[in-house]
Amino acid sequence: MEFVGIGTWLAAFLTLAALSFLYKDNPFFRFAESLFAGVSLGYYVGIVLNQTLVPNLFEPLAKDFKTNWDLLVPGLLGLMLYVRSVPRIGWISRYALGIYVVYYIGVDFTRRIHGEVMPQIARTIRPLQAFDGPTLVSLIFIIGVFSVLIYFFFSKEQNAVTRPIARLGTWFLMVSFGAAFGFTVMGRVALLIGRLNFLIQDWIYPTIGR
Amino acid sequence: MQAFFRFLLALDRRWIFLLVLLSVTIPIVVPIGLPVTTTSSTRNAFEFVEALKPGDLVWLSIDYGPSSAPENDPMAEAFLRQCLLKKVRVIVTALYPLGGLGLANAVVAKITAEYPEAKYGVDYINLGYKDGAAAVMRTLGQDITLSFPTDVNGRPVSEFPIMQGLRTIRQLDLVFTAATGLIGEWWITQVHSQFGTPVIIGPTAVSAPKYYAFINSGQLVGMLGGMKGAAEYEKLLAAKHESLGRFYRGTHAFTATKGMDGQTVLHGVILALIVLGNLAFFMTRGKKAGAA
Amino acid sequence: MNLEFGRVTLVVLFAIIPIVGIVLGMRAPALRSKIPLLVAFFAGLIPIFSMYIPKKFLSGESGMSPRLDQWLIIVAGFALLLGITNVISNGARKISRRDRGWPYAIVLLTGLFVMGGFGIYAAVSGQGMGFLPNGTPTPFRWVESTVFQPLQSTIFALLAFFMASAAFRAFRARNTEATILLIAGAIVMTGRVPLLELLAAPFPPLQPAAAAASQFMGKATEWIMDTPNGAAQSGIIIGAALGAGSMAIRVILGIERGYLGLGKGE
Repeated sequence: MEFVGIGTWLAAFLTLAALSFLYKDNPFFRFAESLFAGVSLGYYVGIVLNQTLVPNLFEPLAKDFKTNWDLLVPGLLGLMLYVRSVPRIGWISRYALGIYVVYYIGVDFTRRIHGEVMPQIARTIRPLQAFDGPTLVSLIFIIGVFSVLIYFFFSKEQNAVTRPIARLGTWFLMVSFGAAFGFTVMGRVALLIGRLNFLIQDWIYPTIGR
Repeated sequence: MQAFFRFLLALDRRWIFLLVLLSVTIPIVVPIGLPVTTTSSTRNAFEFVEALKPGDLVWLSIDYGPSSAPENDPMAEAFLRQCLLKKVRVIVTALYPLGGLGLANAVVAKITAEYPEAKYGVDYINLGYKDGAAAVMRTLGQDITLSFPTDVNGRPVSEFPIMQGLRTIRQLDLVFTAATGLIGEWWITQVHSQFGTPVIIGPTAVSAPKYYAFINSGQLVGMLGGMKGAAEYEKLLAAKHESLGRFYRGTHAFTATKGMDGQTVLHGVILALIVLGNLAFFMTRGKKAGAA
Repeated sequence: MNLEFGRVTLVVLFAIIPIVGIVLGMRAPALRSKIPLLVAFFAGLIPIFSMYIPKKFLSGESGMSPRLDQWLIIVAGFALLLGITNVISNGARKISRRDRGWPYAIVLLTGLFVMGGFGIYAAVSGQGMGFLPNGTPTPFRWVESTVFQPLQSTIFALLAFFMASAAFRAFRARNTEATILLIAGAIVMTGRVPLLELLAAPFPPLQPAAAAASQFMGKATEWIMDTPNGAAQSGIIIGAALGAGSMAIRVILGIERGYLGLGKGE
């Protein structure tokens, strides 16, 4: 008989405690939920400290201060974020928050334009010179993209011309959402299979000696 | 009949929960072994990796957490097996905060144990987790050590032969991201768009529909959509490489292919529920309206 | 001291100007929002300009942009932990006042301190977050694999049950749109898995027909995913990206400032 360690029993207990919510809300589920929230935050502390702050901030400063002296600034900006919770000087954190938020928005801007808008528009602009299967597919594609964009155009009220196009756009969207629903079923089921597989293969079978 | 449909609509949802539980549990206890068919997006991904030569260098990013591990783990594992078998060198990272690092450690430990001849630091390396995924990706185009000065255990990357002569991600032959959310998308829209490195994605099924747009636009080499995509990849691997065929047929460990039995049964159950729900709705709705 | 142009400029923009701003802000409250917006403006421009202007001081090896990227990796680390101070103070308040559900606050804080403590120990002791040289897991790794991973995956696995229940109760062909959605969903759900083969399994004569039908459904699914779904997704991506792009410009220019907790006029 395979030895099932205390870790497996603990994991199995917590799995069952979380699943017990399906019957009804109960203290075991509440316990599991609170523990999960706490451990997740503790996990963040661990990874941020070990994987980012130590190798990218503390060690460069300690080992080669002359080269990396400027890293003191992001370190201080990081700490400055926490000044938010001090009522009278909370506004100081705006500097750190502004730099943090707007930098990532700037990065996002380049990604959106360069990586999303331009390649997707380039894909949509297709030659329609031949009367064959691929051209038909391209045509459906173009109509789809165009009508969906019309549907999303909220700046101006829809009129007699745009309303039917927008309606067609919603049909394309519905096909996509229906397909997404089918895929979502698959994803959610996969998670459940993973958990039950753990309970059966890693906990129950070794425990009963199968 | 009316009474039956009304009974159905009033049914406690916990009976449905029980049905779901049974339809997933039974195929685990009594495997069916249903066939898996492959799709073009998975085949494209597989063929691209197959065409890599020994010594080529690829990047495997674990951009998911335990919340989607049953879908993404089999993808990452299959890809890593294929690379180590073909002697393609692999750099592993994790950019997903909530659990990516633990899974990266687990996947690397599990698969490298199957290939004891693969040497850490020579054939593969684990660079661990880093905050600020978007900023990290920017540095990869300039100098990888700007964001990853050390490996997962804090040893300077300059100590490892695999990192010698490697400067930017442009020098890599492929990025494979197993991903649960936006980070996977950024490899396409940021890294591929700005540095040109080819990308294969293994998204969760929930986010897979979006990536068809990126396949269409040529921004993606291929995709393994959810557990089904992973099962397809396992099938392709098993058919191509005899040793992996034996492995996937014989293993007691969890694989996506095994998971497909439960998937199929539960898909049938959910489709039946949708049909029944609609029947019950239309059969009882008319009567209610008539009565009112 | 390394005094490359890029670094010094970054320090001026993101350290000297803020320090001056803080000193001035102590006296003039109006400057408490104006100078942060100006500093943020530069933080947003550098990653954009560095992509389009190949100048050494900006995007070169020792330029501003790569160094700023490195800085922001560090700041993102601090930002990830921002919620913790709130959680600790809320939890402590709940416990001291014996509010409803206070024992769960103890569980939460215990989980946080134990896991966080193991994380700090991993960094201080230098043993790392994975396995010790003898192959046994570190305390951090042990709690991660026995508590954190099972809980996270089970809580998400609960969704499978609710989705099945919702499929039965809410997924109705009420109108044209809903019917299209339902049909597309049904085709995809049949086409992605060997459902027809499963149904035909007890009836050997039907199996070849089921296999052929399954293959057809698979092809239909691929077509739906590639063409109508691909078109809709392209439309969504283009629309959302243009929206996000224009929003980004508003934020960088300081027109949109809600993220700093500021109204329009402030």
